Amino acid sequence: MDDDRLTAKNNYVKPVQALPIRGFFGRIAYGLGSLLKGMRVTMHYFIHPSTVVTQQYPENRETLVLSPRIRSQLSLIHDESGYHKCTACHICEQACPNASIHVVDRPEPAISKKELDFFIWRLDSCTFCNLCVMVCPFQCLEMKPTFESSVYDQRLLAYNLTKYAGPTSTVLAKQTDDEARKNMIEPRQVYDGPTELGGFILAGMPESTREKKS
Amino acid sequence: MPSVSSTLTMPLMVGTVLGVVGFISVVAMILVYAERKVAAHFQCRLGPMRVGWHGTLQSIADSLKLFLKEDIVPTKADHLLHAFAPVISVMAAILTLIAIPFSSHLVLADVSIGVLYVSAVSGIGVLGILLGGWSSNNKWSLLGAMRAGAQIISYELSVTLSLLVIILFAGSLRLTDIVHSQEAGWWIWRAPGVGLLAFVLFLIASTAEINRTPFDLAEGESELTAGFHTEYSGLRFAFFFLAEYMNLFIVAAMGATLFWGGWMPLHIGGFTAFNQLMDFIPGTVWFFGKVITLIFVIMWFRWTFPRLRVDQLMSLEWKVLMPLGFLNLLVAAFLSLFGWYFFPLVF
Repeated sequence: MDDDRLTAKNNYVKPVQALPIRGFFGRIAYGLGSLLKGMRVTMHYFIHPSTVVTQQYPENRETLVLSPRIRSQLSLIHDESGYHKCTACHICEQACPNASIHVVDRPEPAISKKELDFFIWRLDSCTFCNLCVMVCPFQCLEMKPTFESSVYDQRLLAYNLTKYAGPTSTVLAKQTDDEARKNMIEPRQVYDGPTELGGFILAGMPESTREKKS
Repeated sequence: MPSVSSTLTMPLMVGTVLGVVGFISVVAMILVYAERKVAAHFQCRLGPMRVGWHGTLQSIADSLKLFLKEDIVPTKADHLLHAFAPVISVMAAILTLIAIPFSSHLVLADVSIGVLYVSAVSGIGVLGILLGGWSSNNKWSLLGAMRAGAQIISYELSVTLSLLVIILFAGSLRLTDIVHSQEAGWWIWRAPGVGLLAFVLFLIASTAEINRTPFDLAEGESELTAGFHTEYSGLRFAFFFLAEYMNLFIVAAMGATLFWGGWMPLHIGGFTAFNQLMDFIPGTVWFFGKVITLIFVIMWFRWTFPRLRVDQLMSLEWKVLMPLGFLNLLVAAFLSLFGWYFFPLVF
C-alpha cells in the first residue's frame, strides 16, 4: 500500500497556504486590497483602447492584424523559382491523426527514387494540429494565415498543394540546362489529383490541364 | 418645498405615468447599451459596433426583437403567477423610482418617510423573482428564486443599517430633507469615517440586493442555466430585464442621494467662492453625473470579480457586513449625538 502518497510527507499533496494576514479586520483589509488590485487591472484595459483585440473584419480586410501563430491553411513552401523541397517521404501523411494528407508519389527513373506527384490535403477534415508541419524533415510545410476558404461544394476543400510533379528544388538546381529542368517537371493545379474532384465534374470548375495518362 | 404631487390633476397624472414609463424604457435601453460597451472594453473587446454608429441603435433593435418574439409558457407552469411575476418586479422598480428627487423641483412624490418607503417597496421586487421561479415549474428556476430570496432578505439588513447612519445625521426620513441636509457637504466625507464605511457597506449590500455579479447566484448561468427567468421569453423576459436595470439605476440614485448629496452641488462648509462656483452647474447634471459614476462602479465590479459561493455569500453578510454595520451605526449614533462631524452648524 502506497498510502503516504496521500499525505503531506512527500510533495504529492501541497498544503493549503493560509492567508498571510490573520484576524477579522486584517483579512477584510487584505480582501479589499486584492479586490482593488483586480479592479486596477480591468481599469487598465478599459482606459487603454490599444488592448482591444477585436478585429472589425469585413471592413478592415486590408489592414487585418492576425496572430503570427495563426494556423488556417496548410501550404507547401515553394521558393522564388517555384520549386519545393518535398521528397515525398510520406512522414507527414503518417503523422496526420485523421488522414487529411495524402501524398502521391511517382517513380523517377533517372535517379531510381520516388518523387512527388500530388500533395493532397483535405481542409474539411483537417484539425490544424500542426503535426505535419512539425514532423517534416525538410521544413517544406507551413500554416498560412489565409482563412477565407469557404466554397459551395465540399469536394472543393480537397486541395493539391504542389504546383508541379517532379523532383525537389535541390535536384532541380543541379540541372544546368533550363530545357532539361523543364522536362523533369510537370505542372499541377490546385484541384488536380489521382482522380480529379473525386471523379465528378463540377459546374464552373476548369478542366484539368494535366495530360491524361493512359 | 414645492412638489408635483400636491397639485396632481387627472391629465397631469396620465402625463406623469407616461413620462415614467418612457423614462424607464429609455434609461433601461441606455443602461443595457452602456453595460455591453463597458463590459466589452473591460475584456479587451469592442462590444456592439454594427447597428448604428458604434452600435448605438443596438438596444432599440434588441427591444424590437423582444417585442416580436414568441412568448413561450411551460405547459405545467402556473399560468397566472407566471404572467404576474415580471409585472410585480417592474412595478416595484417604478414605485421606488417615483420617490427619488431628481433635482430641487423634479420630485414626483415627496413622501415624508422616503427612505423607509424606498427600502420597503424595493423589497416587493423579490416577490416577483420568487413567484417567477416558483410558477415556472422548473428546478433551475426554483433554485435560482430561492437563492435570490435568501440573498435579498439577508442583504436588506446591511443596506438598512448603512442607510440608518445617514438618517441619524440628517435627522429625517424625507429624501428631499436628506439632500438639503448636505448643503454644507456630502455625508460620505462629512460624517468622519462612518460615512465612508456606511457607503462601502451600502455599495456591497446593494450590489447583492440587485443580484448583480459577484452576487448573481440567482441567475448563475454556469450553474442554473438562467436562474429564475429560465422559462421566460419574449416580452415577459424583457420585463425582468427592465426591472433588473431599473433596480441598478435606483440603487445608484439612492447611493447618490444619501451619500453624495443627490442633486446638491459639491459644497465645502464655509468656502463661499468655491460653493458659488459649484452652484453654476445645474442640479440635474449633478444628480445624473453622480448616478452615472455609481452605475459605472457597479458595472466595474461586475466585470472584475468572480462569483461567490452560496456559503461565502452568507458568511460575508452575517459574519462581516452586518457586525460592521451595527458597529458603524453605534459609532455614528455617538458622533451625531455629540455633533462630532464636519460643519454641524452651517444649515
